[in-house]
Amino acid sequence: MTTNRITVVLSQTRSKNPGKRRLEEEIATALLLEPGIEFAVTPNVYDLSPGDTGLLYLSSVKSHLVLLSWQYPRAAHWLLDRNGISGKQGVTHLKSLGEEDDEEAPDEIEEEHRGIGPAETLDRYIFCLDLRAYDDAGVYVDEIKRIAKEATVKLVPLTGLLTNSNQGASKPELLQHLSESEKKGAGPIVLGESSVNRWYPVIDYSRCTNCLECIDFCLFGVYGIDHRDRILVESQDNCKRGCPACSRVCPENAIIFPEHKTPAIAGAPGEGPGGLKIDLSKLFGAPSAIELAAMERDVELVKDGRAAVGLSVGIPLRQAGKAPAEKDDLDKLMDELDSLEL
Amino acid sequence: MSDNYIFLMGKYEARVPKDRLYARSHMWFRAEGDAYRVGFTAFAVRLLQDVYFLDWTVEPGAVVTAKQEIGEVESSKAVSTLHAPYDGTLLRFNPELMKDPTAINVDNYGAGWLFDFDPKDALLLTAEEYIRHLEGTWDETQRQIKGQMHD
Repeated sequence: MTTNRITVVLSQTRSKNPGKRRLEEEIATALLLEPGIEFAVTPNVYDLSPGDTGLLYLSSVKSHLVLLSWQYPRAAHWLLDRNGISGKQGVTHLKSLGEEDDEEAPDEIEEEHRGIGPAETLDRYIFCLDLRAYDDAGVYVDEIKRIAKEATVKLVPLTGLLTNSNQGASKPELLQHLSESEKKGAGPIVLGESSVNRWYPVIDYSRCTNCLECIDFCLFGVYGIDHRDRILVESQDNCKRGCPACSRVCPENAIIFPEHKTPAIAGAPGEGPGGLKIDLSKLFGAPSAIELAAMERDVELVKDGRAAVGLSVGIPLRQAGKAPAEKDDLDKLMDELDSLEL
Repeated sequence: MSDNYIFLMGKYEARVPKDRLYARSHMWFRAEGDAYRVGFTAFAVRLLQDVYFLDWTVEPGAVVTAKQEIGEVESSKAVSTLHAPYDGTLLRFNPELMKDPTAINVDNYGAGWLFDFDPKDALLLTAEEYIRHLEGTWDETQRQIKGQMHD
């Protein structure tokens, strides 16, 4: 019975940081010896193009999938979705970067969003684990073993997806070849090489309401709409490196730049860590989110030899509102307020 | 005649020395040669409380525009980005704070200075004008902070 096999893919860091490389190697070494787990390594999935070996491989996987990557799980999940690799979000016991142990499970928070949902979802689970959260390879290996075990007893069987037991039949020949080397214990399979460091937005369709404010705001033609009038990232390489302006304009915080330094933009769960602390940025001279987005867009327009437009084009009429905080947090917030003695 | 104005934040007395100038973004400016030494006012430090972490996102010598993000601060009460008060050049950052930012709490008007800055064209406030700015915005500031709590 192969339907309960799980596939684990490790999306490598761009960084040469020896600590990160070591963690990747330790996890790879442990998983190669694990029965019932298909394991492969790809360059950072965010940097892959359609047709790259890594994406071909991921697309060929129809089993439950675990993706280990140096990104927030929400960013990783919707990055896969963007590449046609869909599935239901599996619930991991691990935290992502910046989450505290005493915080509520993020899956409960996520359910409050009212997005249009993914275009299609394969009937299997995808678990995205954040490699930035723990230094110990054993934590990840144990969690993967737990998921693998759960896959054999609890997860919904994958009906209709794997109709025969010859699981490898649909995979490209190259990958079958690589699987042979895996069996010989020749080290982890590395699928392709990373050539570029990309930069483009990823849409979280569990949050996106298809309001289309991003398509009005972006003046570089990144966004488009599909045949069903759903927003999509149409020309990702038109996007301007380092510019997260559309993400700031999005009223649902549904636009993720996985490599941005600000957690809320990089796909942190909820509104981002530190949400319980007050934000004094405005007091210290910060522009509003909309002003900032316009400033960032102007910088990119000027670099392209075009005229800055400031706040004159594509600015939503609504007020830049904040999503309501969790009710459960109110007590904590009031305590903080009281201790401010204002 | 005292050397300071006092601004009352609840019961807390925020000191505003008369020997220097101010920006609306709650920084003090004291002339140092051709440029200014800049730091947080007592008002800002009171809102921050204990500073845990300070990071600059631009290099010394950077030419910046007003409101541009230049760094971030994390304290016991707040996380916040920091922004250029005016157009100008950021000459250098206080090296002591890179090792340990607690001088911001211990001596914000002295050893806890943040950076040296050469403004292009700054309309700095006198201590008296800054006090009036605080008085004029205090209700709104409290509403803003409490608003973040209630939202």
